[in-house]
Amino acid sequence: MATALAVSPNRTELMKLRKRLGLAQRGHDLLKEKMDALVIEFFEAFRKIQASRTKALEQLSTAHRALSNCFAVMGTLETVQATRETKRELQIEISSRYLMGISIPAVEFGEVQRNALTRGYSLHMTSSVLDEAAREFERALGLLVELAETEAAAFAIARELEKTKRRVNALEYILIPRLKGALKFIMMRLDEMERENFTRLKRIKAIIEEHR
Amino acid sequence: MNADRLIKFELARLNAHLPERRISLKEALSLTKPQVPTRDGSVHSFKRKELELLAKLLPEADWEKLQLPIFIALEPKLGRGAARVSGEVEAKVAAKLLGKEATGELLIYRPEVALLRRKLPTTIQYLFLW
Repeated sequence: MATALAVSPNRTELMKLRKRLGLAQRGHDLLKEKMDALVIEFFEAFRKIQASRTKALEQLSTAHRALSNCFAVMGTLETVQATRETKRELQIEISSRYLMGISIPAVEFGEVQRNALTRGYSLHMTSSVLDEAAREFERALGLLVELAETEAAAFAIARELEKTKRRVNALEYILIPRLKGALKFIMMRLDEMERENFTRLKRIKAIIEEHR
Repeated sequence: MNADRLIKFELARLNAHLPERRISLKEALSLTKPQVPTRDGSVHSFKRKELELLAKLLPEADWEKLQLPIFIALEPKLGRGAARVSGEVEAKVAAKLLGKEATGELLIYRPEVALLRRKLPTTIQYLFLW
């Protein structure tokens, strides 16, 4: 529950409080708009994650099937030997894009899929099933990088959403009610003082008239 | 008074992601890396796919008039969930994407905002007004 602010009841304080309340309400309205926009972005990221994850898992499953096939055709030792000869470099450029003040990683990468000649293993010692397995895993790698980018974005948005929600709640349930309470207190106190003055003046007038 | 300072800081931060200056679609299409510097010192890049989509939606004569990024203005006075797209060409593009009609200004609602952001995530940005 919001506790009252300690304020002295005068008109200057009343004006200051009105200004503060205006600022708090404006901040609350705008942060709520920001929260709504973040919710839209979060659900969008979530939708993308679901789609990317399904695609990546399907591709990984295909890749593993191709690898099993490769083990069966070429033999386990030969396949492992071929993978040891493979070059494993993937150039990824990670920059950031900004969304409502949140830094979101933006991943850019070139062609993940290579041709059999650039993979590095010997072509005449291996079977075409190895090429197929490698191709499927390269496809899966591209999808996994995309999934990682989307998940990182969703986490960043979720963190900002949580922060914004806390601020909106603090304004809505603590600061604004306190300011309103203090404002009400000052207004009531000022009214009371006015009534006291009025009564005092009436009493003084009555005393003066009695003495005449 | 700390709370007031925090609110002022938050309000100042709301539009920090906006670009220092906007560029036309024609200019963006001519750049190898279409991007604009933002107020917070970072860089906002546009995806070429989106630029090409915008180019398809508009006649070539309007490429110079369309300023990027397109702003979706969120204003508390419009009511919660409502937003505005200002600018004649900008509103035209947004209306085309949503299958609506627009003249000069377009008032849209939350599901439409989500749809626009889904279609053009880098060329459309939020603008907070008060």
